[in-house]
Amino acid sequence: MRIALIGNPNSGKTTLFNAITGKIEHVGNWPGVTVAKKEGEAKRNLNKTGQDIRVVDLPGAYSISPFTSEESITSDFVRNENPDVIINIVDASNLNRSLLFTTQLLELGIPLVIALNKSDLLEKKGIAINLDELAKRLGCEVVKTVSTQGEGLTELIAKASGVFGRGQQAPFDGSSIAKGADKAAFEAIERERFAFVDKLVQEVEVRKIASFAQTRQDAADRIIAHKIWGIPIFAAAIYFVFSMSQTYLGPLFADILVGWIDSFYAFTEALMGEGVSPLLGALLLDGIIGGVGAVLGFLPLIMVLFFILALLEDCGYMARVAVVMDRYLKKVGLSGRSIIPMVIGTGCAIPGIMATRTIRDQRQRRTTAMLTPFMPCGAKLPVIALFAGVFFGEAAWVGTSMYFVGIAIIILGALIVQKITKGGPSRSYFIMELPEYRWPSLKRAFLSMMSRAKAFIIKAGTIILVCNAAIHIMQTFNWNFQVVAEGMESTSILGSIASPFALLLVPLGFGVWQLAAAAVTGFIAKENVVGTLAVVYGISNFIDTKELLLVSGATDVAAIMGLTSVAALAYLMFNLFTPPCFAAIGAMNAELESRKWLWAGIGFQFGMGYTVAFLVYQIGTLITTKSFGTGVIPGLLAVAFFAGIIVYLINRNDQLVAVGLEEGV
Amino acid sequence: MELAVINKLFGSNTKNSKAKLVKPENLTDAKINHSYLIKGVETKDKAMKDFMFTLGCFEGEKVTLISVLADNYIINVKDARYSIDMDLAKAILI
Repeated sequence: MRIALIGNPNSGKTTLFNAITGKIEHVGNWPGVTVAKKEGEAKRNLNKTGQDIRVVDLPGAYSISPFTSEESITSDFVRNENPDVIINIVDASNLNRSLLFTTQLLELGIPLVIALNKSDLLEKKGIAINLDELAKRLGCEVVKTVSTQGEGLTELIAKASGVFGRGQQAPFDGSSIAKGADKAAFEAIERERFAFVDKLVQEVEVRKIASFAQTRQDAADRIIAHKIWGIPIFAAAIYFVFSMSQTYLGPLFADILVGWIDSFYAFTEALMGEGVSPLLGALLLDGIIGGVGAVLGFLPLIMVLFFILALLEDCGYMARVAVVMDRYLKKVGLSGRSIIPMVIGTGCAIPGIMATRTIRDQRQRRTTAMLTPFMPCGAKLPVIALFAGVFFGEAAWVGTSMYFVGIAIIILGALIVQKITKGGPSRSYFIMELPEYRWPSLKRAFLSMMSRAKAFIIKAGTIILVCNAAIHIMQTFNWNFQVVAEGMESTSILGSIASPFALLLVPLGFGVWQLAAAAVTGFIAKENVVGTLAVVYGISNFIDTKELLLVSGATDVAAIMGLTSVAALAYLMFNLFTPPCFAAIGAMNAELESRKWLWAGIGFQFGMGYTVAFLVYQIGTLITTKSFGTGVIPGLLAVAFFAGIIVYLINRNDQLVAVGLEEGV
Repeated sequence: MELAVINKLFGSNTKNSKAKLVKPENLTDAKINHSYLIKGVETKDKAMKDFMFTLGCFEGEKVTLISVLADNYIINVKDARYSIDMDLAKAILI
């Protein structure tokens, strides 16, 4: 039996889904968190029916007629996939609007059970609902639930499986006219539907406090979404998230973990003794344990990041950020909604890119999907932390400022895309439902953190492990499969592959093959940058200094890598602002739905990363040494070439092409 | 009391708190804490009009202005709070 969870946005469908199935899907307190269909089995302790129950979680919708692309996933599903039972999640504090959708769902003939969710809020808001009357009038079962507490679930599952196989009567039938009727007639029916719902709500609901009365929440909005204070509040929130994970809480735990990894390294070394071939020993110790360990050492930073992000997403602030930013993002052709994918993108770019589905305007949606990867994601966090620690004495400003640089690049990028696509200032409307603020749940944040940590560990143990082993082997041997002598690593397979790339990077201040190799492996997974650096620069050094990096001065690593602080900053920014990992590029491909946009996006990201690194290195070197760094002329030519393409694209008067881009031909 | 202080500190809106002599035409002319009957939603964006309809924002329904935050209007329609931008507020005739 298959049960579909359907309801208005932010009514708690995914929270209910997680509670029923035990899965840990992404939840948050704003409308439009879920943008794809999710399936799972109902847990045995909730499901007393003895039969298998599959539950399908769907994106929220306000009505059966879709407005944005994720809403059409829901309407397509109920129309085409014939779920056996619908559980309609109704926000108990907003019966009036929710029941419109309910009456439409009841017309489908699929047996339906209402989960009157968030029913714990009723008392607080002075609302009383007559459940029996509601059930009688609608002709379906109604179960009170609190999905955040797991209340009412067993009863809900039992009732849902009880109606399996039955039909469904509609209390209000508007379907007779819908087919082939003109729009006016259709609207007239829908008006009647509203009138029907209004009357019904009047009979079953008593409100002591009118919903339009001012509340503390409204007062809070006036501060948090204030036209002037809103921006510094958002900046402070961002600063808090990243400084906690990178500077304060994260390194505290990282110290402990790195100690364990060190002991494990020493333990394995002792275990192998003298008898093991030095080549194999080096592969295991320096290639695998060292490389993976270097990445894993940053796990606590990432966990802290995800924990605080989950708290932020849970409290209701995200919708307000969209409101605050709308005014500014409109000026560059985006929408307030564009900020949400970007904030999600600081955790991982892939769900961030997918979150662009809630943006209705195609050009805004594509621009956002293309620019979201500029926000440094969790996988880039180790790279930032490493460089901030090694070259900048753990200065908090280095790490946090990368996020603001990311935002600046996004704004610049949006302006350029707007100019190229001749979008003009966007005239599309902005509307966002404001969810209630609530205290974020530590438990949910903890679960979300653990599930992301698990994914990170799996990634470190698979992709990153394989990459590090491969890098180590390629660095140890030359093309004749002879071991390269110490100091002659540039003749190795890795050295000879990476050297041509390194040549291109000379104008950016880091034209050595080791750094080029690390940047390239970063496309497989950004954590690889750290792992590869650990392997190519000799692991034992790195582990020692990594401890230093997290405790105190770390001049050793800086000396080994032979980079000036300016070049290091350029390298860091190059890695942050080039195209994201392949998986994220795949997500871009799926959401952009256009090869042209995809390649334009990747090209833009490359050009941007190169230009930013070039400017940072050359200008920084000019300031610190009073002369330009090496390769300023070829670098300038390359940057001028990128700029030329953009200027050409902006200036061409070929409106047809611009229209073509708009339509994604 | 607490709310009053906060409103004083952060209440940015001088435009809408003063009673207007002209008859209100759309939501940007509305007074905070006042409810109005919607006379229509006027926009060329058909999909947006339909969407507003599904939210219960159409002629004959009630809308209450809760706050004005810069370009954003916080409104209450059918027991829910929405933030809309000025363009959309202009499209809602009262």
